[in-house]
Order: sequence, then structure tokens, then C-alpha cells
Amino acid sequence: MFLTRSEYDRGVNTFSPEGRLFQVEYAIEAIKLGSTTVGVRTPEGVVLGVEKRVQSPLLESSSIEKIMEIDTHLGCAMSGLTADARTMIDHARVTAQNHAFTYNERIKIESATQAVCDLALRFGESVHDEEAMMSRPFGVALLIAGIDELGPQLFHTDPSGTFMKYEAKAIGSGSEAAQSELQDKWHKQMTLREAQVLTLRVLKQVMEEKLDHHNVQLAQVVPGKGFEILDEVKLKELVDEM
Amino acid sequence: MNPMNTAAQPQQRQFNPYTENGGTILAIAGVDFSVIAGDTRQSEGYNIQTRYAPKVFRLTDRAVLAVNGFAADGNMFVKKVKQRLEWYRHAHAKDMPLHAIARLIQTMLYGRRFFPYYVYNILGGIEDDGSGAVYSFDPVGSYERETCRAAGAAQSLVQPFLDNQIYFKNQQPAPGTAHPAHLPLPHVLSLVIDSFTGATERHIEVGDGLEIYVVLAKGRDLSGLEGFAGLQEVSSRSDGERIFVIRRELKKD
Amino acid sequence: MATASTYAPVGFDFSNQVRNQFLQEKGLPLPKATSTGTTIVGCLFKDGIVLGADTRATEGPIVADKNCEKIHYLTDSIRCCGAGTAADTEFTTALISSNMALHELSTGRKPRVVTAMTMLKQMLFRYQGQVGAALVLGGVDATGPHLFTIAPHGSTDKLPYVTMGSGSLAAMAVFESGWKAGMTREEALSLVTDAICAGIFNDLGSGSNVDACVITAGHTDMLRNFVRPNERVAKEQRYLFRRGTTAWKKESVRDLIVSEEVRPIGGAGAEAMDTS
Repeated sequence: MFLTRSEYDRGVNTFSPEGRLFQVEYAIEAIKLGSTTVGVRTPEGVVLGVEKRVQSPLLESSSIEKIMEIDTHLGCAMSGLTADARTMIDHARVTAQNHAFTYNERIKIESATQAVCDLALRFGESVHDEEAMMSRPFGVALLIAGIDELGPQLFHTDPSGTFMKYEAKAIGSGSEAAQSELQDKWHKQMTLREAQVLTLRVLKQVMEEKLDHHNVQLAQVVPGKGFEILDEVKLKELVDEM
Repeated sequence: MNPMNTAAQPQQRQFNPYTENGGTILAIAGVDFSVIAGDTRQSEGYNIQTRYAPKVFRLTDRAVLAVNGFAADGNMFVKKVKQRLEWYRHAHAKDMPLHAIARLIQTMLYGRRFFPYYVYNILGGIEDDGSGAVYSFDPVGSYERETCRAAGAAQSLVQPFLDNQIYFKNQQPAPGTAHPAHLPLPHVLSLVIDSFTGATERHIEVGDGLEIYVVLAKGRDLSGLEGFAGLQEVSSRSDGERIFVIRRELKKD
Repeated sequence: MATASTYAPVGFDFSNQVRNQFLQEKGLPLPKATSTGTTIVGCLFKDGIVLGADTRATEGPIVADKNCEKIHYLTDSIRCCGAGTAADTEFTTALISSNMALHELSTGRKPRVVTAMTMLKQMLFRYQGQVGAALVLGGVDATGPHLFTIAPHGSTDKLPYVTMGSGSLAAMAVFESGWKAGMTREEALSLVTDAICAGIFNDLGSGSNVDACVITAGHTDMLRNFVRPNERVAKEQRYLFRRGTTAWKKESVRDLIVSEEVRPIGGAGAEAMDTS
């Protein structure tokens, strides 16, 4: 398969004759190797869920961090090369803080997403004397969830710098099965509780291990409290309920 | 100093990039409206540079900025604020809220902490919650939300008048009553006009023309404005906040 | 008066000059004098002189007096407009006016305009510009009409039309374009009014009304507030305060009526005083 792709899959800023950027496509492929990550939007808030692959009994599962806060009203879950996500989330955090500093208001979810996607495209070679910022596209996709004046929202970004708004979205290795499950089960007037349970069920279906409160992580964004990663007690309660 | 010695002394020459161009501005907030006004005279020393140099500018449909001090800096500052508002509109697909404009002006002013815009700003308009608001700034960005504020050449004449008539300073309420927190629009407009005719009488740098901007909250009727001489609407739409200008003559001596 | 100094200098006292200069260097500003940052003019015409002045007095950028008088009396047929420090112009002209009256009494003749001019310039020169009076002097005497300007340092000019003060350029622009020799009284008065109005409207140091003074042989017309182009507009509101608006800390009422009790002394049967 790779042999057929000739010279054009080397440079990050060289289109193939068919008009493709192979390095970006490969980056999107990298996400499909990542753990499954699910986001569900409801009128009451947004729920994010991730599978934590605990590959060894010696691994401290709490050290796997796949959901992160960006600002009090907005957070994100990731799939793919999670190390790359740190750069993007750092950028999102700075952008959100800058916005609050300059305008004395919370940044809109779409604006934060846009800022992250602007960064995602800054790979390639230097222009003029500038140093190249990044040598390759990010190998990570994000689900950005938050609440602003337009209500609860969920965005998906990929390494091409494209972002789209979703009612429910799954990414990562089990995304295909998970996405069709979401399509079946998601409905417009879902409660937050229902969304939490749905998220866990979808994850359970696509996970190889048996789902428990150690190998998943759940977060939510709700109007009053904002972004919050659910602790193990709450998580266990939900897992038991499911 | 003995003039004979000046040649022997070290002498320092300095270029002063600032001038003071006179004039006065003021703003008053009501429950569901805001009034922002300024005279139109621009002067330097004893000379009138122009009898019509606006100092009050419409920024959005719910924000009006009055700028007083060094006119060149003022015009440039307004231009840059407007540019930032346009960028914000493109980046975030909405008009910047009033409190955000206030913060933006602070960051822009403080950004020039060591070569300041020599201007006093007063921002007036309607907040997201529909209340009338006035924000006042010093040249390096300290700001505060208030009910009323005067600035410029005749600040020392107008502010005490406003303190007395709007905040009811040094006035005891009649027994069993309390002073109102906000005044109705016609009352506010008459205080604004009297402030400027009064300042024109006693301050040489105030006069020629008066521009009063009135910002009305979304859905508020025009009561207190209809039939006002020299009224002109400058809002871009009629279903949101609305902005009107009243232009009046002031004495020209 | 036995203990008084044998040497009592007349005129100004400069003894605080050194102290004040020291205080100024230390950053204490001198008190600001009321200045008639002014437009004053004078103009020769067929039968005499027309003098003109605005009526604004300022203290820095504040209007101290909206209707002050800047055309000062020297004699019946000589008047003097003052610009500069208000106190200096008022005092100087009053002093010269007195001296002119004395001069008139001692000579028994109508004093001449040059006399006033010479007295003024000598006084101003003596004070080396410290007396900040810029004057327009005009009048008619036995030798005809005369018009002078006197600068604060004592220099003088004799010209057919003159202007002084901060509005002098505005006023002179009107004279330069409109003055001609041999004007009638009406033409001259109208030109002077225009010149003062140019100052009133274009110079921030000048304002309010036009005062004019027409001096001809044997008659002087002081036209106080000849034109009033700057009447104050009516206020939008009346500012009256309810009785009881001002707070007080204590109340004490003093009875100003002295009450008096008349007590008759002596018994009812006492003999009435013989008042016959």
C-alpha cells in the first residue's frame, strides 16, 4: 500500500498530483489507532468519555490523562498521539485566558476550537528566515465540549485543521461501531444522566476489557459548575447503574 | 535666572508630542438607556482649530465612545478600537458586548503605559442585561463602571453639578422619601444640555456645537425622545438597541 | 509718626520679589492674576476716534467676568482701552486719570492726548514690563484726534487704526480689509464693531459683548454693550431646592425679642407722682 504512494508522501506541504496531502492523511490514520473517545451533547450539558487502555497491571491508571480542562466552561477529550494534544490544549488554554483578559468574557466554544485548528495547520517549512514551528501534522483528534451564550456545544477537530459541530461523536479505534451506536441511541431531548449512561454503554461495547471505573474516564460541562472530570466515586455509581 | 549666564549653562531641549485640544465630554446612564455627549469645538491655546470636530463616536449599535484630550491621539485611538471591534466581529460572529469593549479599551490603553494616548475616554451604552451603562477611563487604562461622568476641560465645572443633580450629593431627601437611583430620559437630557450651556458660559474652550448620543435598550419605546429638535437615528437596525443623535448649537464666543 | 521710617518709598513695593522668586523655583506657583485676554481696538474717522473692546475677563481658561468694562476713563475727551493684567490696566489708567485731572487744574487747560500717552509710557517703562498693561489710547484735544498704542514695556505707536490684546490679529484682519481714510461716524462704528466681533468669535480670550466709545470734539459717547451677540440661552430646567435640602448637625433657636416685665414698686395707696 505504501509503495504505491511514491515521492509525494514525504513533504508535509507537497500535494500529490491527485490533490492529496499524504502526511495529513497518515495523521488522520494515526487517530484510528488511538483509544475510543466519545462526546454527547444534550440540552443540559455535554458529556465526554474516554477509554483508558491499561496495558499492564503495573500501570497506574490514574496517570492516563485523556480529558483536560481548557477553561472553566470548556474542556476536551482526545484520541491519537496524546502527547501532541498537550501542545494544542496549551494553545487553547492560552487563547481562552487571553480572551478573558482582553474582553472580560468567556471565549466562545467555536472560537476556541478555531484557535486550535489554526494551530493544527502551522506545520511545514519555514517562510523567509523564520524557524519552522512544527515538522509534521498533529497525530491527534479532539472532542471539544463547552457551554457559552449559544448553549452546550460539541466540536470535533482533526489533524487537517478541519472542525465540525456534532450532537454526538466518537473517535479512535472503535469509532465506527461507536458512532453507529450513537446514531441509534442519541435523541434530541436527552438528559445529562442519559448521556452519561449512553457514553459508558458505547464505550463498553467497543472496549476489549471489561469496563470499570478504572479504565474509563468521564467528564461533563454543565451550565452552573462548568467543566468537571467525574471522580471515581461518581464514575463507579454510573458504571453500577449501567 | 540671569539671562547673561544662559549661554554658560547646560541647556536641555525637548520635543513635546502632546497638545491639549480643549472641549468637554460627559455620559449619564439610565435604567434602560445611556446618554453620551460632547461639544464640537477643537482649540489650541486661544485659537479655534475647528468649530466642528466630533468627540463622540458610535462604535456598535449599543456602544458609544467619547474621547477627550489630545485630538490626534483621540482620533487614532477610536480608529484602532473600531478596527478591533471589526476583527472581533469576524472572529466571533457577534458584536462585542459593552463590558468587553470596556476591557478592550483598558488593555489598549495600558499597552501604551509608557507612551500613553493622551486621552480621557468615556464609554456609554447598553449591557447584555439591557441596563444602561457608563464606563470611564484614565489615559493609561484604569476604569470603572459609573452612573455618570464628565471629563475634559470643563470637568471641574460639570462633575460637581452632576454629582449634585444625579447622585443628589449634599441634598437631603424629603422626609419619608428616597432619591431615585436613575433619572428618566427627558430629565437626563435637560441636565446634559444645561451642563454644556453652563460650561460654555464659563469655560473658554467649550462651545460651538453639542452632540448628544442616546442609546436605547432593545425593545424600549422612544418616550422622552419624540419631538426632540435636531434628532436623528443612527442605528443600523430597528429591532435591537437603537442609537440617536441630537445636534444642538452652542455659543460661539 | 515719630517712629516711622524717615524713608518711605512711594509706588510699588518690591521687597517680596526675591522671596517669591525663590518660592516659585521651589515649585510654588504664583497666584494667577485676572487677565483681560482681550480684543481692544481704536480707529480714526473723519470727526474723531472710535474705541472698541470686548467684555470678557479670564482667569486661565475660566471666564471670570462675562461683562467687564475695558474702556477706561482718562478725561472727558480721552479714553483708554486696556489689555493684559486687569489690575494693572485698571490701576494704571486710574492713576493717570488722576494725574490728568491734576494737570488740567494746574494748567487750566484741556489736557492733550500726547500728555496722557507720555505719562503712561513713562510709568510703564519705569516698571520694565512688570506692569502688564497693553493699552489703546484715544481722544480728541485742541490739536485734533489722536490714537496710540502703548505696549507693556513703554513703547508707543501712533496710527490711524490699531488693535491690541490676544484678539488683535483677528481684529486687525478686519481693519486691514475694511478701513479707509475719512470714514463717517457710522462707518467707523460699524467697522470697530466688526473688528471686536472678529475677536469675540475667533479668539478664545475674548468674548461676550461689544463696548464702544465715540470721541469727537466736544462730545464723547460711551456706548456700553453697544452690541450683545452672545446672550445666554434659557436653561432647560429650574434649579430650586426644597426647604430642608441642606443637612444640619444641630439646631439652636435664639429668642431675639427681649422680654420685659414691669413691676410697680410702692403700694397701691401710694401717692401718685406730681407730674403737673
